[in-house]
Amino acid sequence: MLRGPEVRLRLIVLLLGALVLLIVGQLVRLQIFEHRRYVVEAKQLLERQYSLPEERVGDLFDRNGDLLVGNLPVYDVDAYLQREYHAEAYAPQLAVLLNRPEAELQTALTFPEGDPATSVWRPLAREVTSDTVRQVQELELPWIVFVPTWKRYYAEGALAAHVLGFVNADGNGYGIQADQWPLLFVPPQRSEGQVSVFNEPLPDEVAGRSVTPVRGMDLRLTLDRTLQAYIEGELDRALLEYKAEAGTIIVMNPRTGEILALASRPTYEPSRYPDYVAAGQEALFRDPAVSQTYEPGSVFKLVTVAAALDLGLVNTGWTYEDRGLIEYGGVPVRNWDRRAYGVQDLEGLLAHSLNVGAATLSTRVLGADHFYHYVRAFGFGQTTGVELEAEESGVVHMPEQWDWQDGFLATNAYGQGIAVTPLQMAAAVAAIANDGVLMQPRLVAERIAADGTRVPIAPMPVRQVISAETAHTLTELMARAIETNMKQATVPGYRIAGKSGTAQIPVSGGYDPNDVIASFVGFGPLPDPQVLIMVKLDRPGIDPALRWGTQTAALVFQRIATRLLVLLHLPPGG
Amino acid sequence: MSVTWQKRTHGVQRRQEAFDRALARVFLAVVVIATLLASLYLAVVARNTRLSGQVWQMERELVEWQRKNEWLTVETARLSSIPVLQQRSIALGYVPATDVHYLVLLEP
Repeated sequence: MLRGPEVRLRLIVLLLGALVLLIVGQLVRLQIFEHRRYVVEAKQLLERQYSLPEERVGDLFDRNGDLLVGNLPVYDVDAYLQREYHAEAYAPQLAVLLNRPEAELQTALTFPEGDPATSVWRPLAREVTSDTVRQVQELELPWIVFVPTWKRYYAEGALAAHVLGFVNADGNGYGIQADQWPLLFVPPQRSEGQVSVFNEPLPDEVAGRSVTPVRGMDLRLTLDRTLQAYIEGELDRALLEYKAEAGTIIVMNPRTGEILALASRPTYEPSRYPDYVAAGQEALFRDPAVSQTYEPGSVFKLVTVAAALDLGLVNTGWTYEDRGLIEYGGVPVRNWDRRAYGVQDLEGLLAHSLNVGAATLSTRVLGADHFYHYVRAFGFGQTTGVELEAEESGVVHMPEQWDWQDGFLATNAYGQGIAVTPLQMAAAVAAIANDGVLMQPRLVAERIAADGTRVPIAPMPVRQVISAETAHTLTELMARAIETNMKQATVPGYRIAGKSGTAQIPVSGGYDPNDVIASFVGFGPLPDPQVLIMVKLDRPGIDPALRWGTQTAALVFQRIATRLLVLLHLPPGG
Repeated sequence: MSVTWQKRTHGVQRRQEAFDRALARVFLAVVVIATLLASLYLAVVARNTRLSGQVWQMERELVEWQRKNEWLTVETARLSSIPVLQQRSIALGYVPATDVHYLVLLEP
């Protein structure tokens, strides 16, 4: 019997105490003994892996800091649908704003019948501008999500298309962007934490996460956009003037290997690359300057003469008798005009571009071992290492190879039967201009990290191919050769060294009887060359008697050199 | 009622009251401390949530500014691109230099 207030009070205290103990016991069970299980369950409900916001790809600038490739901020528009939203009713409005077919949006916005899921995700539009986003936001549709992303922007349109290139969604592409992609782009990092129904991290997660988005590096290139634009204009003009099918112009600093301008035709617009893929025109993406080989023709005589001079086997007083024909390995070699030039020295060999003279040097003076040692030393048969995707190494037949023919030693001496890229040829001639030192051609002048740290890329000498003395002697021979025999390549007020070439085009079973590749490589101003220009025109369609390198590419060279020397602030007379 | 009994009885009662008072003080102290700790915890959690919200907001603003900055970079590049500059130059009456003369200045 409960008697008296004191007893009842004690009983209530006991009951309350028991209740408190029960609650405390439960708390202990939940918070301590079963803590791990509930944490796991809570994590499963709220925490997910998610991607951090995509950082922009690194920008590309020209040597003066002008933007060539940047990033336009755009948005992807997605819908998180639930059955009760009846989102399909907004299809007509969204179709107008997002510039998409209404029927397509109607399908996308209709919640699938019989789907047991409570919500579904649907992409609505890609790469829309912030203006469009603002207009869609005015509809106040809570189920539409805008995902910020980037679109590559080419500030100068199709300028330097082959150099800049592009990279597709799979990370494959062309040009310097494809080659430098690991530096330019850091894949979005992933984190794990509490996310909203729209898969966006909650504030606590954002504040507490240890990883941050990482931006790719910017690159300052060696290209000069003004020179590039000028070169491309001249190349277009040359193709029209000489009715050539294709062409390449390279402008380099022979001292540093920096490529100041590099243009090829036909070309494309990198920002519209999917259109070219759809039209089956992927071949346009390959840069002919590094990805297509050609037989260089007479320009290659410079390598032959350089080798003979450097070994001391000949000097400027060396002569031979040119009878207009020499036979070696069963291959008859004739001069371009089938004439015999009589007694000739090295200057005459270069000035008249005598095949017989070059073959005489390679077969009777040098021999295969010496000749091919220099061919390899000048960088032929191997990639230059320039920062461009899909660079070809060319084809150099070596005596120890199974497909070797003795006649190669004679024909290779004047640039036939050997395949090189225009950039290899330009780099090799640049070595002559650079006191015999072969420099690696390069396009990246500086890497700029996200925090602003700048890392300049130093010039990269590959090797001393020929002695400085040999280089100077050969340069003088080249200069005298064009001053006496090719005035159309000279520039008033400046001394220029150069060599032309007119090469046959190999086709199955021999050479194309109708078409040629005309080229000219020159550098100046002497005695301290600062710029090298290479002009290559494929299949000029003019009168066959007028399509020699001396009559086409040399004239283009002269026009470009005259203008470039001014643009580069190189006054006459040094 | 003897004096001895009274003393004993009164003594027990006083000890009990003293014990109850001490218990009450301890209980009160525990309640006060628990309340203080709970308040402190709540304040910390509230502050943490508010700061997290601010950090989240600032991160969003940072991203937005970065995107605006990039848009301005792109817009600047568009306005200073070669085709635009060429058009403006032509409109202003400039022509390409055809005959360049150098003025040679001797160094002092």
